[in-house]
Amino acid sequence: MTPKNYFKILFFGRLRDFSENIKNEIPVSDEIKCVEDVILYLDTLNPHLGKELRKPFTLVSVNKNLVKTDFPIVGGEEVAFLPPVTGG
Amino acid sequence: MKIKVKIQTESFNIEQETNVLTSGLRNIGSVVTFTGLVRESEHFSADKNPKIISNLVLEHYAGMTEKLIYEMVEEASKRWDINSVSVVHRIGSLKPTDRIVFVGVASSHRLESFRAAEYIVDYLKVHATLWKKVVVNGIDEWVEPKHLDRSKFNKWSD
Repeated sequence: MTPKNYFKILFFGRLRDFSENIKNEIPVSDEIKCVEDVILYLDTLNPHLGKELRKPFTLVSVNKNLVKTDFPIVGGEEVAFLPPVTGG
Repeated sequence: MKIKVKIQTESFNIEQETNVLTSGLRNIGSVVTFTGLVRESEHFSADKNPKIISNLVLEHYAGMTEKLIYEMVEEASKRWDINSVSVVHRIGSLKPTDRIVFVGVASSHRLESFRAAEYIVDYLKVHATLWKKVVVNGIDEWVEPKHLDRSKFNKWSD
């Protein structure tokens, strides 16, 4: 379980190559109220990553449910960024 | 409805998986199974000639992948009268000729099994949270999704 005062952030596939210096936990703050705010925060740390996260085919999930970027978060959630899948 | 979903590093035995699919069921008239293997050569976007792959490395989002596959199997069971589905997908480092994925569907009649098996494989390709990386000449690169997979899946909603 992620502590309530943090968001757990996960990157998969090629997105991980852009996120090597990014910590997987972001502290809760007044600025982060939805997934879009997480993207904004990550964009300030690494604009290359920010650009990847904004690509139309990048999906995002909160607690393993696919959501839109305006999905509200309060703390303790697991937020995952998913590039186009290539299984099977 | 009997469902097995397993993400694993080790290989699988097709005969064994087929037995698991039908065990305990007495009204199965047909079993359709699909096995995906690692191809040795692959065409990449910019290149004309195929490249020889030494390894294929698969990763997934544990918990999410299983959940999404369950959902796609549930969806298939709404569309067709099927009794049992097994999906076994491997992760980790694989070599050409290795098995990657097993999809088995059992039902009373063949049509349902054929359709549902194809649907589940198509769905898996575009929705399950798995990502492939290929190793060519010691250099690894992420596999780009194929437009063909997307358009093939979209045909199911026509």
